[in-house]
Amino acid sequence: MESCLKVKVGAVLLPGDVFTFIKTDTISLTESLKEEKIICGPGLQRNGDDVVVCKSGVLRHKNPNLYWVDSQQRRYVPVKGESVIGIVTTKSGDVFKVDVGGSEQASLSYLAFEGATKRNRPNVQVGDLVYAQFLIANKDMEPELVCIDSSGRANGLGVFGAGGLLFKGSLGLVRRLLMPQNEILKDLEKLYPCELVLGMNGRLWVRAATVQKTLIVANLLESSENMSAQQRRTLFKRVADGNL
Amino acid sequence: MSPMKLCVPGDKLCSTDDCIPGTGVYMRHGYIFSSLAGYVLKKNEGEELPVISVVRETETQLLPDVGAIVTCKVTSINPRFAKVHILYVGSTPLKDRFRGTIRKEDVRATEKDKVETYKSFRPGDIVLAKVISLGDVQSNYLLTTAENELGVVVAHSEAGAQMVPINWCEMQCPRTHTKEFRKVARVQPEYLHA
Repeated sequence: MESCLKVKVGAVLLPGDVFTFIKTDTISLTESLKEEKIICGPGLQRNGDDVVVCKSGVLRHKNPNLYWVDSQQRRYVPVKGESVIGIVTTKSGDVFKVDVGGSEQASLSYLAFEGATKRNRPNVQVGDLVYAQFLIANKDMEPELVCIDSSGRANGLGVFGAGGLLFKGSLGLVRRLLMPQNEILKDLEKLYPCELVLGMNGRLWVRAATVQKTLIVANLLESSENMSAQQRRTLFKRVADGNL
Repeated sequence: MSPMKLCVPGDKLCSTDDCIPGTGVYMRHGYIFSSLAGYVLKKNEGEELPVISVVRETETQLLPDVGAIVTCKVTSINPRFAKVHILYVGSTPLKDRFRGTIRKEDVRATEKDKVETYKSFRPGDIVLAKVISLGDVQSNYLLTTAENELGVVVAHSEAGAQMVPINWCEMQCPRTHTKEFRKVARVQPEYLHA
């Protein structure tokens, strides 16, 4: 059962590929029948007794029994609990409308900031960048953002953005940069000191000491998406030597 | 039956000595006038005078009344309320769809402030509800599902299959075996088909 999935780990799958689990015909007399449980991650869906692939990408596996499809995507779909970078587009009534790159603009209430009360309004203008978390995000309702966590503290969320550069990458790039021990960020730290904000909607914001360094860091991040580790290290080394 | 007479609002139908006023008419200066545009209906109720009324269609329309159990379909949801179209009153289908609203506080009887509309209803669900108010000109019928027998009866999962209820707050898709949250109605056993 699990063996037909294990064989395909690392292979490219297309939507519509089916993994059937043949039950009765070939029961081996020597091996004992084991109850196997498979956890389907993003990109895989159960359809009766089969597992069907829903997204094109590479099949990944994590022990003991988690399988998922790693796909490239640039279009963001809001998911509850994810932190994103949004751009404030309008102020209306008690609510800001924020563009997060999805199909609908999300709403952000005036009171969802740390220390905000009805008298003490937060200082947010149209065009500001906000780093916020989704409170409600599903296909039937308008998405809602908040800039505080469940205990009422900001915890890194809120308005930011004076003097940096906002650019767009793919969702896979942001996920790679957010992994705990990733090498891209380690190499970047050695290069220039800079401030980096990563939104799960594919938006990245960089600020370094000078404008030129900011642009260099932005270009490095964008290009490191499609480079292998070796190519990336040579590129970083060239930049460090000042030869770009 | 002889062909029915058409009338418009303001038509003088007869005098109060001839008939007793019914629905769709009003009395002024000893005469009965029509207040609706429709057909004049005279019925002999067994009392001394026939009852005269004006109806839009030949059959009388059944309107949802306060306390009636209605079957409705959810059209949109919102963190504060759900909008529905009322399809049946009791077991009679309606010709027009009336609009109704189920507020967040009226979804359940217990823990009213912890209700999330997304975990109770979704667009496309068929819901059994009870009318609590007719509303005024602009607002719709106000409905409630705050009883064990009221709530979602038929729901489709995200994969498209019709879901099976597990308990009062969850339903399961038979194809993908994923569970989804709904406020499920406990339908009386005599209404379930075999």
